[in-house]
Amino acid sequence: MAPSRSSKNSLQSVDLRALDYLTSPSANLLCPICHAPLITPVQTRCLHTFCSACISLSLERSLTCPVDRKPLNHDDVTPAPIMIANLVNDLVVLCPNREKGCTTSCARWLVESHVREDCEFAAIKCAKEGCDGMVERREAEGECVHEEVECAFCQGPIRKLDIEIHYKECPKLSSDCRYCSKSFPNPELGAHKLICPDEVIDCAASHFGCSYSSRRSELDEHLSHCHFVALTPILQLHTERIETLELENKAVRQKLDLLVPPRPLPTQGSGANSSTANDYNSAGRDMTSEMQDYTYHLYSEYEQLRSDVERLNAQIRELDVKQDMARFNEGLRYNDEMAGVRAAINGLRMQLHWLVASRRETGAGGAGAAAGPRSIGGSSVGGDGRRMSVDSARQVVKL
Amino acid sequence: MAAVKRITRELAEFSNNPLPGVSAGLVSEKDVFKWNVILTGPKGSPYSGGVFTLNLNLPTEYPFKPPTLNFTTKIYHPNVSNDDKGSMCLGILRSDSWKPSCKISQVLEMAAGLLNEPNVDDAVETSIADEYKNSPDSFEKTAREWTRQYAK
Repeated sequence: MAPSRSSKNSLQSVDLRALDYLTSPSANLLCPICHAPLITPVQTRCLHTFCSACISLSLERSLTCPVDRKPLNHDDVTPAPIMIANLVNDLVVLCPNREKGCTTSCARWLVESHVREDCEFAAIKCAKEGCDGMVERREAEGECVHEEVECAFCQGPIRKLDIEIHYKECPKLSSDCRYCSKSFPNPELGAHKLICPDEVIDCAASHFGCSYSSRRSELDEHLSHCHFVALTPILQLHTERIETLELENKAVRQKLDLLVPPRPLPTQGSGANSSTANDYNSAGRDMTSEMQDYTYHLYSEYEQLRSDVERLNAQIRELDVKQDMARFNEGLRYNDEMAGVRAAINGLRMQLHWLVASRRETGAGGAGAAAGPRSIGGSSVGGDGRRMSVDSARQVVKL
Repeated sequence: MAAVKRITRELAEFSNNPLPGVSAGLVSEKDVFKWNVILTGPKGSPYSGGVFTLNLNLPTEYPFKPPTLNFTTKIYHPNVSNDDKGSMCLGILRSDSWKPSCKISQVLEMAAGLLNEPNVDDAVETSIADEYKNSPDSFEKTAREWTRQYAK
């Protein structure tokens, strides 16, 4: 059957996902991701069930539950209850070699061992030593079919497996034409097929709508009076013209879309919309070369204006930056100057302070000596004097 | 590989239980990631009588990433962008609200539902959404006009 399977696979493994089920399983047993009956079911924290492989794939892309989109982590996924696993494993499946002829159906958990050990149609390694070919189990008993033998007719080396196919192509043999049942040598069969009078073919104008078909030998009569065939040159011409017009129309529409905003304004209402639509149609038809030139002109002007605006924008931005820099520099200068002035004022204040303090010291000493022998009224004057000097000192501090 | 299997399964499921007004199939047999969808405008809506074709593109990371839905037929609708892409804005199709358990048939059901009842809170075309809210008559007229012009 299969001429050469990969020699590395000594046994075909069963893809559980590709199995066909005898009866369509309950929707409750389907994985929400692959929509097939669950394989190695697992359960999430939010109590949804998936195939183990499917949920891993899903979590690789986004850490949410694929059903309710709640946050979900790899740790939140645990094996589903055994009962669910048993339910899906007990579903009856058809043997994957069904197309080759195996009619077995069995519970899903058994199918792998069926293919591995029993299935007559499973591909296994050829029994002959040194042969890498694969063979179906039911044919494994006989001799190796991968040996090359000599074709009895053309003497070429052919694998036993392929000999049936080779007989249909062997240049020394003849085959029957499918249509006229005459026998031709294989190399000539291809050429004959093109002229076989008995083959049923369609009318030459079938792609223009003629539904007539008959044997090749009888078609000539039809062709002589078929209306479609008579019209073919004109229809062909029209098809070509329509194609070129469509291309042109497409190009024009693209240009128009650039110039006319494609979206109709809602305030203009439906009348404006239909007129825009009509413009589209008539534009394709009426656009003369003059109009086209005008369009080009407008388009180039538009492009030029746009680049102008872009240039201006860049200039404005540059100026802005320059001005900002200038202002910043000036501010820095002022700041420096201000710091200098402040330092000078501070120095002055210190000097003043020192002067006032020394003056007060000498003033207070004089007043104290004078107050001793004087009357009470005199002492009050001395007190006022001290207060004044304190006030002036305070003023200095304020400075 | 798992994606291909799930998509094939979903396609078979959809062909067995098609939605009313929605038909879907593969663009090419070889590629299950590209679907062709045809929506028929529901009766009673301004899209009635129109046939809208859409492209449904499934990412290779499906079902972990959402599919994208694009109208190839021009349509005047608050939830469909009015440009070459015609991308449809469906809440469940945004990657932050997409769930791997969502099915393509649910997506198509929502898309068909939006033709019946546009969702102004989720609009991509805010101007059309405003018009739909404030002057439904004018919206309906334009939508009908566009349907007649582009979706017949």
